[in-house]
Amino acid sequence: MAKIGNSRALAVLSAFAVCSFLSGTVYAREEPIILRVCSWEEYIDLGEWDEEEAIALDNGTVIFGERPLYEEFEDWYRETYGREVRVEYSCFGTNEDLYNQLNMGDTYDLVCPSEYMIMKLMAEDRLLPYSDSFYDTDNANNFYINNVSPFIQETLESNEIGGESWSKYAAGYMWGITGVLYNPELVTEEEASTWEIFGNPKFHRQITLKDNVRDSYFAALGILKADELTDENFIHSVDYHDKLADVMNDVSPETIEQAQELLDELMGNVYSLETDSGKADMITGKIVANYQWSGDAVYAMDQADEDDFELRFAVPKESTNLWFDGWVMLKSGIDDNADRQHAAEAFVNFVSRTDNAVRNMYYIGYTSSIAGNKEDDTIYEYMNWCYGADEEEEDIMEYPVGYFFSGDNSDENYILQSTGSQMGRQLYSQYPPQDVMERTAIMRYFDEDANKAINQMWINVRCFDIADVPTVVWMALLAGLLVLVWMGYRRSKRR
Amino acid sequence: MEKIRFQRSQLCIPYGLFLVCFVLAPLIVIIYYAFTNGEGQFTLENLIGFFSSPNTIGTLAYSFGIAVATTCTCLMLAYPIAYILARSNMKHKSVILMVFVMPMWINFTLRITALKEILTMVEGNLAYHPFLNTLIGMTYDFLPFMILPIYTTLLKLDGSLLEAAADLGADTVQTFLKVTLPLSVPGIISGIVMVFLPSMTNYVVLDMLYNSTYIMGSLIGAYFSAYDWHNGSMIALILLVIILVFTLLTNRYADQDAGSSRGGVLG
Repeated sequence: MAKIGNSRALAVLSAFAVCSFLSGTVYAREEPIILRVCSWEEYIDLGEWDEEEAIALDNGTVIFGERPLYEEFEDWYRETYGREVRVEYSCFGTNEDLYNQLNMGDTYDLVCPSEYMIMKLMAEDRLLPYSDSFYDTDNANNFYINNVSPFIQETLESNEIGGESWSKYAAGYMWGITGVLYNPELVTEEEASTWEIFGNPKFHRQITLKDNVRDSYFAALGILKADELTDENFIHSVDYHDKLADVMNDVSPETIEQAQELLDELMGNVYSLETDSGKADMITGKIVANYQWSGDAVYAMDQADEDDFELRFAVPKESTNLWFDGWVMLKSGIDDNADRQHAAEAFVNFVSRTDNAVRNMYYIGYTSSIAGNKEDDTIYEYMNWCYGADEEEEDIMEYPVGYFFSGDNSDENYILQSTGSQMGRQLYSQYPPQDVMERTAIMRYFDEDANKAINQMWINVRCFDIADVPTVVWMALLAGLLVLVWMGYRRSKRR
Repeated sequence: MEKIRFQRSQLCIPYGLFLVCFVLAPLIVIIYYAFTNGEGQFTLENLIGFFSSPNTIGTLAYSFGIAVATTCTCLMLAYPIAYILARSNMKHKSVILMVFVMPMWINFTLRITALKEILTMVEGNLAYHPFLNTLIGMTYDFLPFMILPIYTTLLKLDGSLLEAAADLGADTVQTFLKVTLPLSVPGIISGIVMVFLPSMTNYVVLDMLYNSTYIMGSLIGAYFSAYDWHNGSMIALILLVIILVFTLLTNRYADQDAGSSRGGVLG
C-alpha cells in the first residue's frame, strides 16, 4: 500500500514538474505583468455559480459566473492584448485600514476605496491620473468610458480637489445612498423618512445607528439642520446642491459640539451601534428600524422576503449621503511602469464590461456605476429581469430611471414597467427615483484639524463619562476602601 | 566527524529571538509613539491628556468596573464548584469538571452569539441592561479560567491537615475558614489574574452584546483607526503599567499569604 502511495505521489510530483517546466518555457519569452489589486472583501464576483443561477436576459444575453473575475481578466488580457498578466488580488477591511496599510509600506497598483478616501489620497498627491486613451470612446475595449452612467460621470466631473476633477483619477465602481430600513408593521413611512427617527422616543431602544463617525455625523447634521434643509426656499434656491453639500459638510467647532451633544442624547435612545449585525437583527425582529446603506438594505429585504417578512427602505427627507467606491491607481505601485498602468486600466475596463458589472451586482448586491449604452442595454435588462412587471400584473407602475442610464429622466427608453409594490423596496433602494437623488449630498474628506476634531467628538460620545458613575458605586467604593484600611490596621496591630 | 553538541543555554536562542522580535521591539515602538506627537517631538501631552479628560478616565473606570464585577462573580461561582468537586468522593469527578470546562472547546464568538439569543429571550430587549449583559457574557467566557486553578490547589490540599483540625476541635466552618481557604489563596490569586486582566480589554464581548460603550481595548482601536498612533500607544502603555502593577501586587500578596498561613497551620 505504502509503495503504491509513494509512486502515486511521485507521479503527481513529476506531473507538476513537467507543468511548471512547460509553463516556464511559455512565459520565459516575456515576464508577466504583476498587477496588485486591493479591494473590499466580497466585492467582486468569485464565480462558481450553480447551473440554475445563470441569468437569461430578454436581450438574449446569458450571464454566468464561472471563475473569479480577476482570473478571467488574465485570460481576457492575453486574448486582447497578447500579453501575460497576473493579478494579485487582496482585500482590505475599512478605508482607514487601507490607508494605514499604504502608509506602512504595502504597495498596490489599483485600489477601490470610498469617495472620501479617494479625496484624501488625491489631496496627498498619491494617485496617478488615468491616461487619455482610457477616455477614448472610439476604442471598443474602453468599456468604462463607454458604459459608465452619465449621472456618475457628471458627479465625478463636477467634484474637484485642488482644482482637479475626480473623474481624472477615479473610475466609479459601486454606489449607493444611506437611509432607514424599517419594519412597516411597526413604523410608518413618515416616521422612517427623517433622521429624527433616531431620537424618536416611540422607538426607544429599538433602533440602531451606524458604528462609524461619518455616517453618524451625517445623521446628526440631518437632525441639527432639519429646519433649514426642509425649508421650501432652501430647496428651491438656484444653487440648492452646492448649499446642501456645504450644510452636510459643516465641520465648524460649534456644529461638532452640537453634534456631540445630540449624539450623546441619541445614544440614550438607540438599541446599539452596529456595522453588520443590524441586518440580521431587523430580520429576527430585535429592532424595528436601522440606519442602513442602500445595498445592504436590498440584501436585508431579500433575506426577509424569504421568511415572508416585509422590510422597507426610506430615504430621510432632509438629505441623504451619496457614496461611491471607485478604482484609483497609486503612484507608488504603478511606479511609471507603462505596462502596469495599461494592465490596471484594462482591469477597470474589464470589470466595467456590462456582463461583468451584472455579475458583480448579482454577487455583491450593490448598484454598479455602469449603465451600458444605446447599443448595449444589458444593465437595463438586468434591472428589468430583477424588478420588471409581467404584463398581466395589476398595479403596474412606471418607474423612470433615465437620470442614471442616459442623463435624461424623461427618456422613454428608460421607463421601467414595474409594480407599485416596489416603491420603498428593492428597486427603490437600488435605483432611487430622481426626486430622492435630488437631495443627495457627498460627504467630503475633512482637513486634518476637522478630522481630528470629529474623531475626538466620536470618541467622547463612545466613552463612559466619569460623571455618569452612580453615587451608589462611589459609596460602595468608599466603603470597600474603609474595610481594606481597617483590615490592614488590624493586621499590623496583631503582629 | 565531530558531533554537534548543544549547550543548554543555546536552546534559549529561539526564545530570546522571539522575545526581542515580538515583545521588546513592539514595546519600544509603543513607548516611542506614546511620548511623541505628530511632528515626532517628545511630549507628555498624551499622558496628561489621558488623565485630564473625563472621558478617558471614565473609560478606565468603566473597564475597571467590568473587570472587578466579572472577577468577583467568577470567584463566587467558581469557588463552591471547585470546592465541591475537589472535596467530594464523587465517582465521576473528572466528567463533571469537564462539563464546566467544555464550553472552552467551542469557539467563543459562537458561544457569545448563542448567549445573545438566550438573553434576548429572557430579557426581551438587551439594550436596557448593557452592563449586566456584559457581566454575564464575560463571566460565561472566563469562568473556566477561575475554576481550574482553584480546583487544582484544592485537590492538592493535604487531607491530614483537615483531619488534624477536626481532631483539635475545629468545626467545619472553622476548618474551612482557618485551613482550607488560606491554603487555596494561591489558586484564587492565579484565577483572579487570569480573569481580571483579559476582562478589562475584551471588547468583542461588548460589541456582540450590543454594549456600545468603549472600554480600554476599543478605545485604543478607535485612536488607531483615526490614524492617531500617539494617543493609542499611550493608552496601551498605561494599560500595560496597570497590568504590571496589578501582577506585582498579586504576586507579593500570594507569596506572603501562602507563607504566613502555612506557618500558622504548622506552627
